[in-house]
Amino acid sequence: MRHSPWVHGVAVLTLGLALFAAGLALGAARWVDALAGSLGGEVEMTVYLAEGQGQAQAEGLLAAVRASHPGVEARAVSPAEALQRLGAQLGDLGAALEGLPDNPLDWSVELRLPRPDRSPEALASLASELRALPSVSGVDYGEQAVARLEGLRRALRWGGLLLLLVVAGVTVVVVSATLQLAIYARREEIEIQKLVGATDGFVKAPFLIEGALQGLAGAGLAGVGLWGAERLGAPRAAELAAFLVGPAGLPPLASPWVLLQLALAGLLLGLAGSFVAVGRFLRV
Amino acid sequence: MIQMFHVEKAYPGDPPTLQDINLRVEKGEFVFLTGPSGAGKSTLLKLVFAAELPTGGQVLVGGHNVGRLRASGIPYLRRNVGVVFQDFKLLPHRTVAENVAFTLEVLGAPRREVEEKVERMLKRVGLLHKAGSFPPRLSGGEQQRVVIARALVNEPTILLADEPTGNLDPALTVDIMDLLRDVNIRGTTVLVVTHDHSLLERYRSRVLRLERGRLVYDGMGPP
Ligand SMILES: Nc1ncnc2c1ncn2[C@@H]1O[C@H](COP(=O)(O)OP(=O)(O)O)[C@@H](O)[C@H]1O
Ligand SMILES: [Mg+2]
Repeated sequence: MRHSPWVHGVAVLTLGLALFAAGLALGAARWVDALAGSLGGEVEMTVYLAEGQGQAQAEGLLAAVRASHPGVEARAVSPAEALQRLGAQLGDLGAALEGLPDNPLDWSVELRLPRPDRSPEALASLASELRALPSVSGVDYGEQAVARLEGLRRALRWGGLLLLLVVAGVTVVVVSATLQLAIYARREEIEIQKLVGATDGFVKAPFLIEGALQGLAGAGLAGVGLWGAERLGAPRAAELAAFLVGPAGLPPLASPWVLLQLALAGLLLGLAGSFVAVGRFLRV
Repeated sequence: MIQMFHVEKAYPGDPPTLQDINLRVEKGEFVFLTGPSGAGKSTLLKLVFAAELPTGGQVLVGGHNVGRLRASGIPYLRRNVGVVFQDFKLLPHRTVAENVAFTLEVLGAPRREVEEKVERMLKRVGLLHKAGSFPPRLSGGEQQRVVIARALVNEPTILLADEPTGNLDPALTVDIMDLLRDVNIRGTTVLVVTHDHSLLERYRSRVLRLERGRLVYDGMGPP
């Protein structure tokens, strides 16, 4: 490294940026996962019965859903209970409801589905099944939110994979290019080493170590960047997270586990880059 | 120690540099290799330490067939063959001591052993006081002695010296030759390339003469 500190600096910076981007993407993916997970916990389907349907129809629907979806949690909500809940939700305005001559609300059934049935497809198919029933006037389960989150997760997963490939490619190219320069700068020394009886391993080892160190240094830089991003962005992100995900909050951007993964990735990619350079430019 | 059977060396596109070379150098011998410039003397040395491979015939060093050596075996051959290169091959940005230490470092010798041996070797070639100097600041004779020190510090069984007195004045030539004779007396097989006829006269030894790639003389004293 003493031969070209500038080149090595740029290489480490590039690796740092690439791994930082990968770390951010990883963090975002885990965030969306957490969001989807917590939302998934609340996926509840409300089935509104048509006007004039009574308790008997509601109980019938309950029995039918329980039979076709074992493990479902379901209960019937009477118009009176629904009105009471609405009153509670409206707060001060709720008093106005007490003046109503008739309860305008109908019977409904609330379903909480077991995990395997919570996928967007399963939810959609159940909803359309229920909508087809003559006794049902509507089904509500926040399908757009679920579908959108699922889309976001998928996009992040593919984007993350793509980014990973790009980062891997950039790292290998940058490391092998800087090592090519290092090998060139030391070609005389290498020639003499070989002439006085150095083994292949002895000649190659310093370059492999150099590549590994570059990868680790890049990972270190990325780790510092992630830590900084977390420190700067955390207060705002935590607010948003508490609102969206609940008090458990945001998965950390720079947890020890993430940093370890980053270091490992940097090490492996650095080594891969130096193997490429040594294989191509160090004919021994 | 060194045997060649019908050795041929041809670089692609050129007529053969060496042709039908047969020779045998015994352990402990001191041999001059002479001949006009371009006769193939350096090439013959390169065959001995596997810097080049023969295109025909066989080269045996210490009983091993160099042409059949696997790539991983070449370093071990070279550790037994000290080479004084015609063009020195000293690293300009390393000190004299570091240049000499190179031979021991590639063996993975411990630091203390390296320091001791380098010091002893530099004392032997009379350059201890220049241990910290850089080669470009040394005279030609001093650089020559650094190269010899690097070739000998590992106590090789064979020493190949390619024109080690090529551009030295007579007094320095005697110094270097005395050093090489001394190495030989201690048991190392020595092969010295020279085109200096007076050396062949002064040091009555076995002489091999190459002309246009062929061995034309092999006997005691100058042809
Ligand atoms: N690497 C090489 N490629 C092609 N030709 C070479 C190479 N090395 C030496 N030669 C040729 O081989 C011949 C002998 O060279 P060399 O062994 O250096 O002669 P000497 O040491 O006797 O002066 C010369 O004609 C030279 O041009
Ligand atoms: Mg020559």
